[in-house]
Amino acid sequence: MIKRGWLARVRQTVGGVVALSSLQLILASPVLASEAHGVPAIEAYKVMWAIINFLFLLAILYKFAYNPILKMLDDRKNTIESSLRHAEEIRVDIERMKQEAQQNLMDSRKEAQEIVARAQQIGEETKAELIAKAKEEAANERARAVAEIESAKEKAVNELRDQAATLAILAAEKVLGKAITIEDHQKMVKDFVNEVGDRLC
Amino acid sequence: MQGVLFHIGPVPVYNITVTSWVIMAILALLFYFGTRNMKRIPSGIQNVAEAIVEGLLNFFSGVLGEKRARLYTPLLATFFLFILLCNYSGLVPGAGMVHGFQPPTSDWNVTGALAIVVFFATHYYGIKVHGIGYFKHFVTPFAAFLPLNLLEEVARPLSLTLRLFGNIFAEETILFFLLGMAPFLVPVAMMGLSVLLGAIQALVFTILATSYIGAATEEHESH
Repeated sequence: MIKRGWLARVRQTVGGVVALSSLQLILASPVLASEAHGVPAIEAYKVMWAIINFLFLLAILYKFAYNPILKMLDDRKNTIESSLRHAEEIRVDIERMKQEAQQNLMDSRKEAQEIVARAQQIGEETKAELIAKAKEEAANERARAVAEIESAKEKAVNELRDQAATLAILAAEKVLGKAITIEDHQKMVKDFVNEVGDRLC
Repeated sequence: MQGVLFHIGPVPVYNITVTSWVIMAILALLFYFGTRNMKRIPSGIQNVAEAIVEGLLNFFSGVLGEKRARLYTPLLATFFLFILLCNYSGLVPGAGMVHGFQPPTSDWNVTGALAIVVFFATHYYGIKVHGIGYFKHFVTPFAAFLPLNLLEEVARPLSLTLRLFGNIFAEETILFFLLGMAPFLVPVAMMGLSVLLGAIQALVFTILATSYIGAATEEHESH
């Protein structure tokens, strides 16, 4: 690397020397010529004017061109950057909102389905309950009716027994013509009733 | 003395100086009106002014990198614009013949003055960036190269001066003689060439100035 650097440097320097010597020639010729033909050589005032003019122009352009235009370029760059960033933010927002809306829609659809399902379930339950209740009521009714019939039957049987006993006593009195003791009476009746009652029922 | 238009006290004012003033006024007016009422969305002359500065900024960014281009664009762009208009002023009818109208870059005192500005700007920025360490590059790769390096520093402004002056002066001279010999149609070919030459020479001067300043302000630490 260093070697190549040297070479370039030497080449540059040789170029410089050539330029310098040619400058000497050119410098010398007008100076010589100026004595003969009046051609001007280096003129300090011209150089001074040129430098002053250039620096003045630099100052003017700095004020009217570079400063405002570079500022404007920066400003525009910032504006564009912030606009792009803003647009990106908005895009993300919209994306999020869209997702939210989608989610909401899905949620409400699910909810609606749930509501319908629940309503259906409640309907089913109510129906089953009502049926069960009706069945139970019917069963109760039947049982009560059966019980009533049973008790009526019992009552009738008892009444029948009492009347049969009385009839039997009356008949026995007629047959025997005499009264029997209460105890005998009772015993006889009972035996009779039992006998007849069993046959009756 | 030749080329003197008038005197301000003891100071002579030359044709080229007056022409420089006109060129400066043109540039100043262009940018004054271009940036007088700047809008974020440019229109009309603001577009022109912005395109010029932005184009040059991008061009220098390619050589120097964006950060340094921002710093040195004012100086370098002024070289380009001034030299370009100076070169093209030779194409305006009457250049070199009317009093007070002579292309400034056809005088080596002007090109020399510009090269002197480049010379001082290069070392000024070099010292500003690297401090006293800037002088180290005069003794690289080692101390024996000091004379060669110094010679190089002198050769640069001389080559800048002579290249620009030689091209424009030659072009003006040829045009002058062609106009004298065959004023109709014949000089058009040379004028077409001058349009190209004027731009190329302005560009060459500016690129060299850019590379000198770029080399002087390079950050060696970053390597």
